[in-house]
Amino acid sequence: MKSVFIIFNQAHSEKMEYMFDYLDIRGYTQWTTVYGRGSNDGDPHMGTHTWPEQNNAILTLVEDEKVDALLEAVKKIDAVNEEVGIRAFVWNVEKMV
Amino acid sequence: MSIYSSAVKKPVTTLMIFIAIIVLGIYSVYKLPVDLYPEIEIPSITVFTTYPGASAKDIEANISEPIEDGLNTVDDLKEISSVSRDNLSIVILEFEFETDLSEAANNIRDGLAFVEDELPDAAEDPQIFKFNSSMMPIQMFAITADENYEGLEKLLEEIFVNPLNRIEGIGSVSVVATPTREIAVEFNPRRLEAYNLTIEQIGQILAAENMNMPTGNIEMGKMDYPLRVEGEFKSSDYIENVVISNVQGKAIYLKDVATVRDSIREMTMDEKINGKKGVRMMVMKQSGANTVNIAKQVNAKMEELKANLPPDVKVQTIFDSSDFIKGSINNLTKTLMFAMLFVIVVVLFFLGRWRATFIVVLTIPISLIVTFIYLRLTGNSINIISLSALAIAIGMVVDDAIVVLENISKHIERGSSPREAAIYATNEVWLAVVITTLTVVAVFFPMTMVGGMTGIMFRQLGWIVTITVTTSTLAAISLTPMLSSKLLRLKKKHKKPGKFSYDRTIRPMLDKFDNWYARVLRWSLSHKRIIILAALGIVIGTVLLAPRLGTEFMPQTDEDRFNISVELQAGVRVDESVKIANKIDSILFNKFPQVELVSTSAGADDEGGFLSMFRSTGSNIINYTVRLENSSERDTSIWEIMEAVRKELKVFPEIVKYNVTTGGGMSGGMAQNNIDLEIYGYDLEKSTRLADQLADSVRNIPGARDIKISREDEKPELQVDLDRRKLAANGLNTAMVSSALYNRVEGLTATQYREQGEEYDVVLRFKKEYRNSISDIKNIDVQTPMGTFVRLGELGEIKEYYAPPNIERKRRERIVTVSATPYKISMGELASQMQEIIENTDVPTGFMVEVGGAYEDQQEGFQDLALLLVLSLVLVYLVMASQFESLKMPFIIMFSIPFAFTGVVIALLIAGKPLSIIAALGAVMLVGIVVKNAIVLVDYINLMRDRGHPLADAIVLSGRSRLRPVLMTAVTTILGMLPLALSTGEGSEIWSPMGISVIGGLIASTIITMVIVPVVYMLFTRSGERNKKAKLRKNYEFLD
Repeated sequence: MKSVFIIFNQAHSEKMEYMFDYLDIRGYTQWTTVYGRGSNDGDPHMGTHTWPEQNNAILTLVEDEKVDALLEAVKKIDAVNEEVGIRAFVWNVEKMV
Repeated sequence: MSIYSSAVKKPVTTLMIFIAIIVLGIYSVYKLPVDLYPEIEIPSITVFTTYPGASAKDIEANISEPIEDGLNTVDDLKEISSVSRDNLSIVILEFEFETDLSEAANNIRDGLAFVEDELPDAAEDPQIFKFNSSMMPIQMFAITADENYEGLEKLLEEIFVNPLNRIEGIGSVSVVATPTREIAVEFNPRRLEAYNLTIEQIGQILAAENMNMPTGNIEMGKMDYPLRVEGEFKSSDYIENVVISNVQGKAIYLKDVATVRDSIREMTMDEKINGKKGVRMMVMKQSGANTVNIAKQVNAKMEELKANLPPDVKVQTIFDSSDFIKGSINNLTKTLMFAMLFVIVVVLFFLGRWRATFIVVLTIPISLIVTFIYLRLTGNSINIISLSALAIAIGMVVDDAIVVLENISKHIERGSSPREAAIYATNEVWLAVVITTLTVVAVFFPMTMVGGMTGIMFRQLGWIVTITVTTSTLAAISLTPMLSSKLLRLKKKHKKPGKFSYDRTIRPMLDKFDNWYARVLRWSLSHKRIIILAALGIVIGTVLLAPRLGTEFMPQTDEDRFNISVELQAGVRVDESVKIANKIDSILFNKFPQVELVSTSAGADDEGGFLSMFRSTGSNIINYTVRLENSSERDTSIWEIMEAVRKELKVFPEIVKYNVTTGGGMSGGMAQNNIDLEIYGYDLEKSTRLADQLADSVRNIPGARDIKISREDEKPELQVDLDRRKLAANGLNTAMVSSALYNRVEGLTATQYREQGEEYDVVLRFKKEYRNSISDIKNIDVQTPMGTFVRLGELGEIKEYYAPPNIERKRRERIVTVSATPYKISMGELASQMQEIIENTDVPTGFMVEVGGAYEDQQEGFQDLALLLVLSLVLVYLVMASQFESLKMPFIIMFSIPFAFTGVVIALLIAGKPLSIIAALGAVMLVGIVVKNAIVLVDYINLMRDRGHPLADAIVLSGRSRLRPVLMTAVTTILGMLPLALSTGEGSEIWSPMGISVIGGLIASTIITMVIVPVVYMLFTRSGERNKKAKLRKNYEFLD
């Protein structure tokens, strides 16, 4: 099992919902309205007057074989328009109850 | 959940809410009455007191003064004035606007209760009278007749007056100067003397003859019969055969001493319509009833009723005040439609997409229609003010929707789905949209608090713009995102756009313009000194130009009719007046082809009723109402025609005074433009002389017309001075003599002759040739209680003397006003010239001269507006300071305001219009619109700097990017106002100055905002000032 943490511009919300259904991933946790900025480029998403855009964050735990498909999908969404912004990070899951 | 995400997620609910608003709005439109102005209650109450037999001076001292003193402390009283005439005192109490008049009337009643004891016993109780606009006729018809002239009264009563009175909302229908049937018994005094008879005796005999009387019941057999004596005259021929006396056994018939005429009453007023004999019929509405609606019903009914008229009776309309209202409203509605069309074209031009344009434009009808719901709920009407308010709002209501839509499209172009884009893009801008709306509201909302006469007009305007703009903002953050989510699509980029497509025609043009502006901006930023000097020059230039701008209160309107009042030598007989009237009539018809109808009335009507309060009448006065062709059909304006008429009247040697004035009355006194010189002082002779002197000087001012002195000329009177000793010797008293005199000259109404249910007076008096000279009067026989006769000449003397017919007072002092109206010069200019005359005149001690009249209202109006401007500026500053969280930014933005006023001054000068209250109102409104543009720009510059762009770059970048939205806002408003400014025809004089001032101000301020505001911004700020990182570093140096 791997955990995938996806941070995305709120403007991608619907695409994300669709993506999870499309990939047949049932479980995830979403935080709405979170802020942050990218390491290299792109506008900060701070929800302020200066930087009005905002992010949502999703944490999902998936089978190891689904990770690549998920990352592929995220990459495709990012390709629609890189300015909007979406990133995914993967960790190992040690234990679960 | 926020309003916009709910709206997008529940599109059907959103749609239903807005459809509900539209349905309610349309319902309200159909139910709303149409009127010229919002309803105005004139805050004045009049107290009438009659004191028969008293002269103007007596009335002043015994009635007017005590009443004034008693009522001076009534609550909310603004000014007290009075007119004392022979027999009548009129005290006018003017209250502050919005005083509860019924409460005021109660206070007056209480006040009068204290005064009543001081009034002479013979005076009648004071009557309280509230002026009401419903007392002014809304329609006036001229009815002419040939053969049927003598029976016109009864004819009109049956055919018109009674059926029209049944229309709901009609106050009254009255007919002026109808010939009234009267049975005149005219005596030869010599014959009366011969038979030892008096008029009073004969009157008693006639009354005793002309009677029906029940005289009891008779029971005969099984029946009960009532018994009656039927002695009433069956026809007027019977009257002359009444036996009035027996002399030496012979019966004396009435025809032996008098002639009996069954004809019409002697007229003291001559009424002609287009030179033909006729009468005038006036229609008054009930207060609160709707003019247009009633006039429509009256006209329809009249058409129907005309069929019953004999062929020689013709009906013409002298005026129909609903025509002007309907014309103005139609005109304004058309203007509104054009404005809407222009706005749509502009939006399409800048957006270049049909669907986007549709979404934006949809906010126009929705926000405008809410106005009608508001008007309906508050009981207002569709009128010039409410429609002009809509015309102003029309360019502003699309702004918010455009901002929202632009951001949504940006998101869609970046690949978001329309639904996501609608929610998140609105989330980014909604606050900014609400704040710009707040600045507009900050300007318009204070208008709802203006008091006085100007307040009545501005309050509605303030509310309407506030409501429409607020609605448009609500629509922009709910309906616009919802529709965008449904209608907007990601446009596929055409590889090769068509030759005439938007992308190859307008877009490159706009891009080029953006680039050009960026270059201009960069140049200005590096030549700050030149720009600032030029700006200063413009402001100073405006200050220098401004005095050349004339001022006026309300623009004068061309209502297609004017009044002429001609005064001949005091005391002239009606017959003589009629001769002059006929001459003037023919001049009006022959020299002025624009004249359609002339209604003339010469002389005084003893029962002229209410109208005679406004028009002075007298045997020497001729009043005309002239109706012209519709203003759109003639080239010459009403003022030019009036001026030409004045020239014609000047050549008549018989005419002492003449005044040519516009329609009036209808607009509730708002359209007056007279300037008064008010002369306060006690001495009647001196003040009359001073008034004459001032009037002469005013006549020398080139632009002064219709110079009037309020104190009427002294008129000759005959006074019978009785010698009390001689009276006593004959056993007579004053009352007996005066009633004898009255019965012989004016006439004794002895009885009524009845015919077909109508009663006609039987009046006994001397034949005309026996009451035509002073010696005739001296020869009148008065019977003493002993039965002997004395000639009036034996009892006293008859003297001719002059008396002032009226004494006016204001603020409890005697006053005479000299008034003038401006022609081809502005009111402000005329007022200052008249002020000069006062300074150059040697005013005697005990006298004071002041400038007043409509000029006073104008000054008050401008003061109110100035206050409003200050209030708006303060509120706008507050809103902006909190928006930018800065005390400095609002100043930068407000730098654009003076230039808006520059534009107003220049535009008005070019158009040749004076600065009226309406034009000044346009200038106040500009504050909101202009500031809005500057906010958009400054806000963006701040944003760019916060995002790390260096100062100069941030300014140029923002200017370039905000040019289109600013232009769009400005151009929609300018084009929205253009039809208003250019409109001609009925009523356009009222609103076109507002259009002109807004357009001028907006053009100037937009151009200047885009250059000066960035330059001022640069001057007021330091580079790196907004670099928060640098600031923070100071606090956290320990980390280094």
